[in-house]
Amino acid sequence: MSTDPKFEIDRSAESPEGELSVRRRLVTYDYRRLGLGVSGLFAFLLVWWVASLSQPAFVLPSPPAVAESFSEEMSSGEMPTALRQSLRHWIPGAVVGTTLGIGTGLALGWSRLLDDIWAPVVRLLRPVPPLALIGFAIAWFGINDTGAAFIIAIGAFWINFYATYGGVESVSTDLLDVARSLGVTGNLGLLRSVVIPAASPGILTGIRTSIGRSWMLVVAAEIFGVPGIGARIQRASNNLQVDTVIAYILLLSLTFLVIDTLFRWIQRRLLRWH
Amino acid sequence: MALGQASGTRLELDSVGKQYDSPGGTVQALADVSFAVSPGEFVCLVGPSGCGKTTLFRIVAGFEQPTTGTVRPERTTEQMNMGIVFQEYHLFPWRTVGGNIRFGMEQLDVATDKQRERTQRLVDLVGLEGFVESYPKSLSGGMKQRVALARALAVDPSLLLMDEPFSAVDAQTRRRLQENILDIHEETQKTILFVTHDIEEALKLGDRVVVMEKNPGRIAEVIDIDLPRPRSRTTPAFGDLYERVLDHID
Repeated sequence: MSTDPKFEIDRSAESPEGELSVRRRLVTYDYRRLGLGVSGLFAFLLVWWVASLSQPAFVLPSPPAVAESFSEEMSSGEMPTALRQSLRHWIPGAVVGTTLGIGTGLALGWSRLLDDIWAPVVRLLRPVPPLALIGFAIAWFGINDTGAAFIIAIGAFWINFYATYGGVESVSTDLLDVARSLGVTGNLGLLRSVVIPAASPGILTGIRTSIGRSWMLVVAAEIFGVPGIGARIQRASNNLQVDTVIAYILLLSLTFLVIDTLFRWIQRRLLRWH
Repeated sequence: MALGQASGTRLELDSVGKQYDSPGGTVQALADVSFAVSPGEFVCLVGPSGCGKTTLFRIVAGFEQPTTGTVRPERTTEQMNMGIVFQEYHLFPWRTVGGNIRFGMEQLDVATDKQRERTQRLVDLVGLEGFVESYPKSLSGGMKQRVALARALAVDPSLLLMDEPFSAVDAQTRRRLQENILDIHEETQKTILFVTHDIEEALKLGDRVVVMEKNPGRIAEVIDIDLPRPRSRTTPAFGDLYERVLDHID
């Protein structure tokens, strides 16, 4: 049999499995899309470079200057340290916020009683931006890792809370009837066997959104003086080292890209049925 | 656990009535519905839309309480005495065909090897060989309904309740499913209450047909169908019965 990818594409198209048709689409468009993406990236760099020629470095440094700064920060060890510090805020903050958000979303989405009790509080607290709580973070935890993690947790909490709440609300009552008719009893039984799996697409989308948003919050949460990428950006911009600022922004993007890609892979595996 | 270990039980409805409160006053959805289904009997419930047959189904299935009257047996989750099949399948999309069929057995803590063996037999019974690992999204409507049927049979209920189970599939698939359900009834001797709006389907399948009228939903007539199976709609006897049911429904 030929190893020409085209041949495989045709064969999989005949298969009734929906999964294969997705793979076929990926195979067919991957090269084309990759090419387009790379050319877009080059166009962006070109525009940036041209624009930087007429500007002083503290307004807009050129791409090579940023690359140089990136490698300097890497080899001096300052960038790996900042990344490690930021991850130390982000991981606990995101994990705690996500866990509590999903838990609260399940409880309030499932229980009418809890929802009725807590709805006014939720409405009251929802509009508070996490950064407005920096004062509390300092007062309760101090200017340290825990304080920064707290801010991130708040951000992650709300995204996951609403995603889960919406997911639970949309679970079909018919599926619950079926489960009851097949012997599932009690709230925990229904949550475990029907509500959580049925709501999982929404929950996973929430987690993925919150990963991105809370990573952006890292920068803001560190501005009040906790060391990390955010603090490093703050220091560099005070010194007008815009190339360093952009180098760290690049680090933020790359880190996000890695984490997001990893999570998307997990999400796809978990939602094969979807 | 054999497929037909729990053969049919008797189902009895005694003066079942259902009222709803609505802004325009109370609505009498069902009035004084009484009939019984003997062990192993296949009874079809047919009626025009709005005659309360789905409400009656939900009351028998235990999802709703009647305002008056009683239904015996009541559905108990301990024994899982009722297998329920809905019009819209309602499969668990995150579970494979096998996973759907196993669902009730898992709740009963049936041993894993028993579950596997029984799942295989049910898959054979409903004709889904080779699809045990497929997810519902890749199945046709008729296949989904077969899975739903196998899932309901998996807990070996003594009573099978079906609410317009074949009305969402194409005519050809429906005919095949109708033959299948007759075979399964033959093999398992379950008591079956089968709700449909399709007169022909009711007359083809049922040992008896309960005909309902609307406003309020009540029984118009209970007809014994003594024709031998398979029944052809082209015979004069079938035609006569068809007219008789149609008289109530129009």
